[in-house]
This record gives sequence, structure tokens and C-alpha cells, in this order.
Amino acid sequence: MREFASEVPAAPPQEHGRGRSIVITSGKGGVGKTTTTANLGAALAARGARVVMIDADVGLRNLDIVLGLESRVRYHLLDVLEERVELDDALVRDKRSELLFLLAAAQAREKEDVDTAQMTALVERLRERFDYVLIDSPAGIEVGFRNAIAGADEALIVCMPEVSSVRDADRVVGLLPPAMRPQLIVNRVRPHLVRKGKMLSVDDVNAILRLPLLGVIVDEPAVITATNRGEPVALDASSQTGSAFRAIAARLAGEDVAAPAPREAGVLAKLGALFRGRR
Amino acid sequence: MLRGTPEGLEFVFPTGSFEATAAALGERLAARPAFYRGSVATAIVAGEAPEPDAFAAFVNVVREHGIELRGFYGPAATEGLAAVSGIPFLGAPARQGTSPVADIERRRVARDSEIAITPEARSLEADFAGARADLAARRTKRTVKVTAIAPRIVIPVEAAATRYYRGTVRGGQSLQHVGNIVVVGDVNPGAELVASGDVVVFGALRGTAHAGAQGDRAARVAALQLVPTQLRIATCIAAGDSTRRREPEEARIEGDRIVIVPLSKSAP
Amino acid sequence: MSARRIVLTSGKGGVGKTTTTANVGAALAQRGHRVVLVDADIGLRNLDLVLGVEKRIVFDLVEVVEGRCQLRQALIRDKRFETLAILPAAQTRDKEAVTEEQMARVAEELAATADFVLIDSPAGIEHGFRNAVAAATEAIVVTTPEVSSIRDADRVIGKLNERALPYRLIVNRVRADMVRSGDMMSVDDVCDILSSELLGIVPDDEEIIDTTNRGEPVVLAEASRLGAIYDKIARRLEGELVPFTRLDEPGLFGRLFAAFKAS
Repeated sequence: MREFASEVPAAPPQEHGRGRSIVITSGKGGVGKTTTTANLGAALAARGARVVMIDADVGLRNLDIVLGLESRVRYHLLDVLEERVELDDALVRDKRSELLFLLAAAQAREKEDVDTAQMTALVERLRERFDYVLIDSPAGIEVGFRNAIAGADEALIVCMPEVSSVRDADRVVGLLPPAMRPQLIVNRVRPHLVRKGKMLSVDDVNAILRLPLLGVIVDEPAVITATNRGEPVALDASSQTGSAFRAIAARLAGEDVAAPAPREAGVLAKLGALFRGRR
Repeated sequence: MLRGTPEGLEFVFPTGSFEATAAALGERLAARPAFYRGSVATAIVAGEAPEPDAFAAFVNVVREHGIELRGFYGPAATEGLAAVSGIPFLGAPARQGTSPVADIERRRVARDSEIAITPEARSLEADFAGARADLAARRTKRTVKVTAIAPRIVIPVEAAATRYYRGTVRGGQSLQHVGNIVVVGDVNPGAELVASGDVVVFGALRGTAHAGAQGDRAARVAALQLVPTQLRIATCIAAGDSTRRREPEEARIEGDRIVIVPLSKSAP
Repeated sequence: MSARRIVLTSGKGGVGKTTTTANVGAALAQRGHRVVLVDADIGLRNLDLVLGVEKRIVFDLVEVVEGRCQLRQALIRDKRFETLAILPAAQTRDKEAVTEEQMARVAEELAATADFVLIDSPAGIEHGFRNAVAAATEAIVVTTPEVSSIRDADRVIGKLNERALPYRLIVNRVRADMVRSGDMMSVDDVCDILSSELLGIVPDDEEIIDTTNRGEPVVLAEASRLGAIYDKIARRLEGELVPFTRLDEPGLFGRLFAAFKAS
């Protein structure tokens, strides 16, 4: 099969003292952007990086719930952008890690209230203090999406192995500046359905998207449970999904991580071949 | 005669009877009323100055078909027609043909992240709508046969630049061009290519391609992997089928339908 | 008598709006109603895919609004249901191409010759959502029994209330096993939180993935559990009082749920 990743380094050369700003987006809703942002943040922080996550889904905020931090949110993104509070007052520290912070979205406001220029400036400020600025994009390709990509240098495309999701992801990739070098995470794969030919395989997805593959995450009920409890599954050592997120974090940081040992034969066994050759 | 150019339509009046040419042009427009609606055009008077009445009558006909006549070229003697008709006089007809440098410029690789509607393709949009209106009308009336039309615009070969694009054309992107389009890469589902000439995809064509969008039924669509959502040539439309082929293929009009043949077996 | 114009919306993306629109529309058409489905997700169109008509798209909603074609030219008649038609969205445009007034006018024109106009809203609460709602006189809020989804549905319900649009709830992707083990909210919990009338309970079923990929509404399959459920939803929309199949109780027909007021 074709290599997609050979010339693209997983971690771009980092300017000294300046963190990486990465938007997590998808086009299609419900494919796992927010869960991915939360878990990637948790996994990166667990490796010792300073991480801030911005929920750019103004009006439909969810990142705080997924992290179990909703009761700790006092101020939000628009309070900061409109200069009613200091950035530090709005940043919510994670319950579990000292290195992980959240800037929540406003629930009672609209995405049109966010100014792209302000967003870019905010992300620049955060990059000086954090190693990673992760921006959780809303679904769609409207104002909210455009605000979310403002200020981001890199993009992660989250896609489910399902036709609508692939089409929407393709649309999004077409709207991103190529300099963003988007990478792909295929989420919610159900290997037994792939084997039966009832679900697209990772190859099917990337035959259309043609992006460097950062990770594949198998669907697990544990993820819904973890979301409902507000605990990122990336911190659960026994979770297969958690270890997939940890591997993604490692790859993002530039490590050459092989695919995890397959528990399901067949589809997952081929993943090893997909990751070989990544620098 | 009627020409398509990078700047829009051109109504060309050669030497001889202005009225006769105007009548012929009027007939063409009347035969396909919606076809050119929304286009911009210029008129080129190559012969002697026409009578003001005849010119004004022609201007009215053009206007009735929803075409915006932006101005006219002609010898100095025609300048007075501007006041009578309200159409600006643009001066003597421009030099025809293009320089090799301009050609090379146009063929320069365009690897834009934005694929916008180019100015030269704006006139194409009207044609595109016209072609599809024709099909929709046929579908509503449940007629299956495609009305045969003769090629209406002859695009001089020198003027028909080829738009060359490298990379994947993504869903939601639209590449429109007066001339041929060549893509080195895939054309994804949800993407569309619209060309007045041929469409060639050196990759998988999974989206929609419209060749001969200004009416050229001899136009072709070729791809290494021809698996389009929909194919259009002139006013013929065919839904793609999902059989995966193993060889490059070409689509063209034969009789009243679009047929697909392996490229190796395709006649020029 | 003008059609009922119903927008299907959710706030949260990916909860099954499009699949629900397609299947409820198909179920209504199967029962003999004249149904038009409108895809309001300009730029990210998917309704055509889910119904398997993407290859037959000639004109779309934006071209209708721009006057480049007539409304009836843009409608695609489904080959499987005599009384079902789809108005597809544009793919190469974005949502700003259409205004709320234009959407409302298109919907009114469609309503003149149909019994039901179902509008598939995009995710979110931005311009696309507002356009979709502008076309409707009532709403179906689709949610899953999951915290983020409910929170977003709540926000959307607030917006619907602002416009005094009546709405009912479909709870999608219910997993009875997870409800029993306490890992998922029950339908009752969802309705309580959202204080909303229930229109339907749809179980999570792998059948839907395959049918969506193949572009075939699930009501076409014989003896389909999901098909029967969508048929019930259609009947409730007609005003019939149909008992709910409780999926989160031990035993499939464990408890009959008291019906609700007719619409």
C-alpha cells in the first residue's frame, strides 16, 4: 500500500519557547473531536508537556463536561476576548494534572461573537506559555470552524470510517490552508463490521483523504462511560482506547511508535504496516 | 459568429451584411433561450459601420436573452453608435491571438489552496445552468432522447488554454475553466470540474465532471480511474456506476448517450 | 391544505438527524403521504448520500433560491417510494448563500403540494441552523442519551422556544444493555431533563450503519426492527396514539408507556 507519511515529520521544528497550536476538527459532528482533544491533552500532559485546551464551540460547549470540570468553570473564552477578566482567571486547571488547563467556551453566547483576529492573538499569547495549544473546533464549516482554525498552525482531522464523515472531512481539508499539514485520526472503528464488509476500512478512508495517519481508535463502550464520568480514558492504563490516545500523543511529539499489539486479528493486524515508515 | 473567450462571449460581425449576421445570431440565441442567460459579452464589428437602427435592434435582442453587452469594438466610424444604443465604444478590435509567453503563463502549474471561479469561467456558469436546465426539462417531460445540438461555439485552438492542477481536488471544490482541464491527482466525491473542452484526470475521478460545458459534444472525459458520481458532456448527463475498473477509460458522446470505453480502444 | 413543515435538529452533530430525516420521511411516504425532504446542510450535504440519490443531482437548493432553475426541476423523485422527493443542498457553496427568508419561501412553495416537508438541519446553532428553522412550523429534536448531546439539545430547545416553535423529542441510539448497567441514561431521564414530549425511541443498531452506507432507508427491509420503529414514529406524527416499545427495561415489551396528546 502507498505511504502517505514519508516526507512529513510528525513534529515540526519548534521555535524555542513557542508551543504548537493544533486545531482538532472534522466537519461532521459526533465523530469524537472533543473526546480526542480532551484525551490528547491528558496524554500529552501525562508525558510532562504543558497543555492548554480551548473549547471553540461557543454556545454548545462540551469540553468541560468531558473532562469533568464543568463545576469549576467560572469564566470563558469570550470573557477573556472581551477583556472582562484576566486570562489566568479563566484558565481552569485539570483535576488530575498540574500541567493541563482548559479555557471553556461560553454557553449563552454565539459563535459570531468571536473575532478571528482576537482569537489569533489569544492563541499567540498561549503559545508563549504552553507547549501545546489544542483547539477543539465545532462541527461544520461555518463561523465557528473559521474561528477555531484562526491562529492554529497545525490540524488534526478526526474521521469515522463512514461515508458522510469522510466526505465532510474531505471538505474541511479542502478549506484548510495547506501549510497546516493536516494529519488524520480514524476514530470509532469497529473491526468486526469492517471484516464483514459493513464498515469502511482505514485504507478506504485514507484512499480518499490521503493524509498522514496519526492514529486509529477502535470503538469501545468504555469511552462513553468515561465521558459521562468526566474522566479521560487516556489516563486509564487498562483501556485499549486509552493506549491508542497515548500512542497518538507520542507520535505527535515526534516518537516513532508502532501500532499497539492487536487484540483483534485481521483489521488491526494490518495497522502495523500502516505505521511503518513514519519518521 | 459567436465565440467564447477568457473575457466572456464575443459577437463577431465580419464584413458583409450586419443584418444577416445579427439575424443568424438572434436565431441561435432564440433556439436556446436559457443557455446564455447571465453571461457578459462584447460585440466586434469587423466590417463597415452598421445602421444605428439595426445595431439598436441587435442590442435589444441580446438584452432580452439576459446577456450583458459590456461594449463593442469597431472602426472609428462606429463610435457614434454608443450614444444611440447606450453600449460603450471600446475602440478598435484588439489584436487576435496570444503570445507564446502568455500561453506559458497560463499553463503554469496552479497549486492554489483556493479554487475560485476564474473570471474567464464566469461565462461558463450560464452555459452550465443552461445545459442542466435542458436535462431537467427533459426529465420533467419524461423524454429520454437527448436533443442533438450542433457545436455552437468554436473556440480557436490557440485561445483554448488548458488549466493544469496538481493535487487532490477535494469535496466542495469547484474547478471551472474555458478550455481543457487536466488534474494530476484525484478528484474526490463532492468535487466538480467544469470545462468547455476536455477533462483529463491523471488519477481517480470520483466527483462530477462536465466537459464540453458550452455545448461541444465532441468533448471527452478521461481518467486513470473513471468512477465519477456523475458525468456530463455538453447537455448529456449520465450517472456514474460503481463498478471498479482496472484500466484508464474515456467517456464521450455516441449518438444520444454518453458511452465509456477503455482508453486503449478509444479512437482520437 | 398546506403541508406540515418539520425541522429536524439537535445542536450536537452526529446524533442521527440526517438518518432520522431520511427514515421518518421514507416511513411517511410508505404510508402514502406526499413527502419532501430538504437538505439544509449547504456545503456538507449528506441527505442525498443516505438516500442513495447523489448521482442524480442536477440542481440544488442554492440554485433554486438564486432563480437558476425551478423548484420542481431540482426535486429528485425517489425511485422506491412514489410519494417521496428530495431537494438536495449544494456542495460547493456555503450556508451564507441562502437567507432565512429565502428558505421560508422555498418551504412554503413545497408545502403547497405536499403533506409533509421535513428539513434536515445542520449541526450547531449558526446560520445554517437558523435557515433550517426559518423554513419550519414545528420541530423534532434528535438527541442521544449522553451528556453532551443532551446539553446541546437543551440549548436548541431554548432557541426553538424563542421562536415559539412546538417540538418533540426522538431519543436515538439507546443501548438497553448500558442503561441496565447504569452506564447510560434512561429515556425517562432524558425526557425529564429536557422536559419534552417524546416522539420516538430508537435503539442503537448496527443495521443502520450498513443501510446508510448503501443509501437505503431501513424501512425498506422486511421484518426490520428499526423499520417498525420508524413506522411507529410516522404514525405518531399522523396523530395516532402508539405505545412506546420500552427498550431500557428487562424484556422488550416490559412496560407500555402511556401515550401523549395527539398533535
